[in-house]
Amino acid sequence: MHIHAYEKLWLALSIVLILALIGTVTYGAVGPGVAMVADTQQTVDSGALDEDERFSEPRVEQVGENEYEAYVVAYQFAFEPSPIVVPANSTVTLHVTSRDVIHGFEVVGTNANTMIVPGEVSEITVETDEPAEYGIVCNEYCGAGHHVMEGKLHVVSQSEFENRGGDSA
Amino acid sequence: MGQNETAHAGAEDVGGGEEFDPIGTLTLIGIYFAILVLAWVYIYYVEFLGRDLVVVG
Repeated sequence: MHIHAYEKLWLALSIVLILALIGTVTYGAVGPGVAMVADTQQTVDSGALDEDERFSEPRVEQVGENEYEAYVVAYQFAFEPSPIVVPANSTVTLHVTSRDVIHGFEVVGTNANTMIVPGEVSEITVETDEPAEYGIVCNEYCGAGHHVMEGKLHVVSQSEFENRGGDSA
Repeated sequence: MGQNETAHAGAEDVGGGEEFDPIGTLTLIGIYFAILVLAWVYIYYVEFLGRDLVVVG
């Protein structure tokens, strides 16, 4: 069979594109460590979050050298705690759940974005850089007040975080 | 007509040279390829990985 030289060229290019696409995603997972929101978390009783040791008191706590866990509860029509205050240059794992309906949790302008399903805990780990203030919006229609449902994520310097005292840590 | 085509194709195969030379198509495909690669590098490496709070777990 005769195949034109140009045709061989663009067939080869299309294969290069496919390989590069797979390579990009592989690089993302191996290099920067980009991960998906998994469903490995234990379920919770969304009707009894105030009896749950993690969510009865939404908060940020230190769990390691430079590691923090944030327990966030979403409800119609707010997020708690608000603001969520975390230190700069640290690793923060956000555990987010809902006590009523499905909500969304999107830290505006960033890659931190997940659905919040009642009874499920959405866990996302992010690395913070410099101090910054981000808005959080609910991006799943959750009722009449959906459009006003917002939160805040404040990334503050380590010293400022410590100065806030033990209230959030 | 049919005979001509057969003869033509035979001559091309023997010669190995390319008489049909769609350089315009090749150029277009080259441009599309470049646009795809640039757009993709921009979307993934600049817009996606360059944003804050990359989810790592």
